[in-house]
Amino acid sequence: MGAWWGEKGRVGLRLRLGVLGRLFICFRFRQIEQLQRCEPISEEQVKRLCLKAREILIEEGNVQVVDSPVTICGDIHGQFFDLMELFRVGGFCPETNYLFMGDFVDRGFYSVETFLLLLALKVRYPERITLIRGNHESRQITQVYGFYDECQRKYGSSNVWRWCCEVFDYLALGAIVDGRVFCVHGGLSPNLQSIDQIRAIDRKQEVPHDGPMCDLLWSDPDDIQGWGLSPRGAGFLFGADITKAFAHHNATDLIARAHQLAMEGYKHMFDQTIVTVWSAPNYCYRCGNVASILELDEHLGQEYKVFSSAPLDVRSVPAKRPPADYFL
Amino acid sequence: MAPKHQDADSAIRDTDNDAALARLSAVKRGYLVDPFVNYFVQRAHLQPPRPPLINHGTFIRSAAIDDIVFQWLELSKQTGQKCQIVSLGAGSDTRFWRIATSDEHAVLAGYIELDFPEITTKKAMTIMKNKSLNSVFDPAQCTLSHGGTALHSPVYHLLPCDLRLPPTEGLGKLLTLPTTSPGDASIEPVLSPSLPTLLLFECVLAYMTPEASSAMLGWFIDYFRESGVLGCMVYEMFGLNDTFGRVMMNNLKSRNISLPGAEPYTTVESLKKRLHDVGFTTCNALTLRDIRRNYVDPKELVRVSQLEMLDEVEELDLILGHYAVSWGLERGKEERWAGWGLKKKDDVI
Repeated sequence: MGAWWGEKGRVGLRLRLGVLGRLFICFRFRQIEQLQRCEPISEEQVKRLCLKAREILIEEGNVQVVDSPVTICGDIHGQFFDLMELFRVGGFCPETNYLFMGDFVDRGFYSVETFLLLLALKVRYPERITLIRGNHESRQITQVYGFYDECQRKYGSSNVWRWCCEVFDYLALGAIVDGRVFCVHGGLSPNLQSIDQIRAIDRKQEVPHDGPMCDLLWSDPDDIQGWGLSPRGAGFLFGADITKAFAHHNATDLIARAHQLAMEGYKHMFDQTIVTVWSAPNYCYRCGNVASILELDEHLGQEYKVFSSAPLDVRSVPAKRPPADYFL
Repeated sequence: MAPKHQDADSAIRDTDNDAALARLSAVKRGYLVDPFVNYFVQRAHLQPPRPPLINHGTFIRSAAIDDIVFQWLELSKQTGQKCQIVSLGAGSDTRFWRIATSDEHAVLAGYIELDFPEITTKKAMTIMKNKSLNSVFDPAQCTLSHGGTALHSPVYHLLPCDLRLPPTEGLGKLLTLPTTSPGDASIEPVLSPSLPTLLLFECVLAYMTPEASSAMLGWFIDYFRESGVLGCMVYEMFGLNDTFGRVMMNNLKSRNISLPGAEPYTTVESLKKRLHDVGFTTCNALTLRDIRRNYVDPKELVRVSQLEMLDEVEELDLILGHYAVSWGLERGKEERWAGWGLKKKDDVI
């Protein structure tokens, strides 16, 4: 327990919290421990965790301001044991500051445990971890890609899914590290030239089917000029010219984004003005890719740490695992 | 040893269920039209849909193979001949019924399906019990044989066979038997050696050794050497020598499935060469990824892209890049068959 109790800057808070508050933090700490073992917490605990998370997230801007050093992570997609691998490679929170660029849920076997752990860390260490919204943090998408079904299966009702979706609506749309590195799940929007315009969006809603908020979560960089139609059916494709104009206009050095599988874990484009960071190794237990995290040091120096999927111990795959999908 | 062998075979047979469920899901979601597929899946109405990616891939696979098959029927019509189709490892495929209820049915002289007896028995029973299926042939001319593992009608034949056996012991024996429909006094073999004939292999050769599949393909080449036009369509996974392929083989191993017939083929060129080496003169192969980009009606692609939100385009490309349709033709001097095969859709006027 010493690790958090002795943490700098928390002493004053501790004095003001009193006994109940201390109990609450202790409780929260045990919750994190429980989730780190990939054990789901009770429905009542989820409800309280989500309420608390909303109180914290509502105070954050659409573009959350983050200080270096920070470790930037891409899609996780419910691959809980690979998230544990990520923490082993990058250091655990709060020793390492983290920025997760969305897509915590869907596709993997453990979306519930993955999202609730990240949320519990957010509530416990709000200054140490930043969560921004991915296109899968949406009611519509989670009903197709697994999170809804997983909540139903693990809790016997859709309550947990509903509370989590309410939290999704409060997640930031992007982040900016030291004013120089813009982080977003998908990419840019033809309706947004400046980061200040993103700050003006009313984000507390389900991800719309189109418009600037949708584009931030859905768009992809591509080797084209200007803007193009996205094959995903939402968001846009944007070229090097658009990316460089955005960087110039906003005085940023780099756009870090996730959203697209990168077989080597990360992928630079457009003279290193944009990078895709992908943090789900062997995506969907099928793709055979490696994953990476991007460590930005206090001078915004970039180091990519590449990692593979967690070793196949008995816990990493449910006993009654659904067969991997192939065309047979 | 024996039980282990049985287990491995039942794992292969189970892949038919995967294919049928994928097809059923694609039909339910509106990707494909197939009024027959639900008869071959138990409790079809209770089956959960497959993920959008699988539905999309099933659509591409189906569009490409349909294109190849219907071109074959069309060319037969144009050359004034009836033709035959032999579907090897057909499983619960519904293609025969889709052709039999289409405008092209008259051009079909024979449609022969071969599979493990466990599968043909089930399929024969389903056909006999279901009016929508058996009404396409005259029920009076429809008989079961081989202890219920085979079914014969004037056009459609369902035959039990382990395709891995040497052809002279296995499929060769069955296909050269005289037809046995009641009232049919002819001594013609089930498979005529003189009609244009298309062989279909949908995820079949991958489960056999390359030696066994070469022997089988070689048998057909020999059988049609004198007088026939022989086409061959193979659809299956390939290029498994990368990380995706290794994961696939591992995942399938946990289902007791191995892919001895896919591992040696690491490139599209090697798929063409396989067909060339057994005696087909014109050989082609395309990945499903390329087929999706250039060989499917763009209007259809737009239509299916609106059916479900397909989130992961990179993953779709990665998977489709590991499946290919290859086709080979041995046409003798029959010039008119030269144009058979998939064509870029923007080339078609």
